[in-house]
Amino acid sequence: MNTRIFRIEVRDEVLGIVREPTALFFSVLMPVAFFALFASMFGGEGDGFGVESLATYGAFGVLSVVLINPGVGLADARERGWLRVKRADGTPLGVTLSAKVSAALPYAIVTLAGITLVARLTAGPLDVPQVLRVIGVLVLGALPFSLFSLAVGARFSLNSAIAVLNALLIPSVVLSGLWFPLEMFPTWLGDIAVYLPPYHLAQLALAQVEGGAMWGHVAYLVGTTIVGAIAAALAYRSTEV
Amino acid sequence: MEHVLEVRGLVHRYGDHTALAGVDLTVKPGECVALLGPNGAGKTTLVRNVIGLIEGSADLIEVAGGNPRRAETRRRLGVVQQAVGFPRSLTVGEIVGGAAARRGCPPEAASRTIAEMGLAGLEKRRAAKLSGGQQQRLQLAMGLVADPVLLVLDEPTEGLDVEARRRFWNTIRRRLDDGAGVLITTHLVDEAAAVADRVVVVDRGRVVAEGTPDELRRTLPDRRIEVRTKLPVSVIRALDSVETVELRDGRTVIATTDSEQVVRTLLDLDPDANDLTVATASLEEVLVAMTHHEEVLI
Repeated sequence: MNTRIFRIEVRDEVLGIVREPTALFFSVLMPVAFFALFASMFGGEGDGFGVESLATYGAFGVLSVVLINPGVGLADARERGWLRVKRADGTPLGVTLSAKVSAALPYAIVTLAGITLVARLTAGPLDVPQVLRVIGVLVLGALPFSLFSLAVGARFSLNSAIAVLNALLIPSVVLSGLWFPLEMFPTWLGDIAVYLPPYHLAQLALAQVEGGAMWGHVAYLVGTTIVGAIAAALAYRSTEV
Repeated sequence: MEHVLEVRGLVHRYGDHTALAGVDLTVKPGECVALLGPNGAGKTTLVRNVIGLIEGSADLIEVAGGNPRRAETRRRLGVVQQAVGFPRSLTVGEIVGGAAARRGCPPEAASRTIAEMGLAGLEKRRAAKLSGGQQQRLQLAMGLVADPVLLVLDEPTEGLDVEARRRFWNTIRRRLDDGAGVLITTHLVDEAAAVADRVVVVDRGRVVAEGTPDELRRTLPDRRIEVRTKLPVSVIRALDSVETVELRDGRTVIATTDSEQVVRTLLDLDPDANDLTVATASLEEVLVAMTHHEEVLI
């Protein structure tokens, strides 16, 4: 029963994203456009603006989808009273929330595919297994961010949720070195990155290309997932549908 | 199943405020119960408990044989709520089809219900672009699509025009004939009186009266007499069985428990009395009297 409901919920969520061109623009096109801009400014064939950059800009692309869409969708559904309808309709809350997260993943993958294409055009042939590992890590690593997104969506009005989520997204991706290398920042600013989950997601993705320690980043992201789940549960319980 | 809804001793508090203070309520299969009361009486809190959105403490709350907090129980309900906005992206067909599929109903059930609610031809239209009345019918279509054993309707005719209301009540009567129970809140007291088998009046979180519309009407002086007469108010007020007397637009309005006796006495005392009418107390007047509110009810 719940599997069937889940399929319907995901379908509805996917349609909600596809049929809203503005959402599609911000979720998919903007990260790809950003990557193309930076690649044209700093990159070039053989300059390394390839899979490594896919890891960092890809992390930004994934975050711009999974941190924004589920929370904004939840806040919108709450504000409209549609969440009330769903609950009265016998749709389990967990299914509704899982569908919101799941529906964001295809768009994250499309974003990553767009960035990969730009990387291929600017950096030449890419190592396909590396690309697939990076994409896999980024998609799986998106979970904790979607939980924080749901926590915000359960607590704030639609307009506030959009503002809060963007206020979380932009500074955290910049300070995590996803737009500019941390070496360009003053030391004290660059030191902040290790405390930010997006940094660990990007480093875990980079480790698929450059090698290096992974488990520290995995542990950090698992911890972030637990905190995100608690935040989402508390936020939802303290709000009325 | 003796009852499709049974609530015993429901208490619901919001912080220090007690919204429901031990409410009992039942609905039998094939029975329509109207829940009436002034704003803030606790109707919405009661309805939200019944459909499992919130949870108070109760000796018993059983809907369609199950706990309404369980999703599978709620799938046996049909619900129309107030102030619902549909998603911008979904069409009428997708919304009703989705409601049917969630409950394991075939797509034909959706088409049939869409037609029953007068929405045929609008299947591909975005729900958010429908008129208010069409949206209300769409929500009802969602509620009806799986032949629920209990329909919970919160102001269901809000925004419907006369024809849509007629169609709506015909649909409800058919479902009642098929054995579904109906719990309805409405500010259109006359509609409630025409359809409901039983009326439950809620005020300040308690059930203050319960009965058929006629039984409730009989709790007030059963007749209101309006007449043009030269008799002073003080004389009329002194008559047996007269409850109140007031002057309104040149006519004397008398509330009484025995209209025949009062009319006879009036005509004896003032043979020139004319323009005389006798009316039954309306359900709305009963509600005003019971809940001590003079503003518009619900």
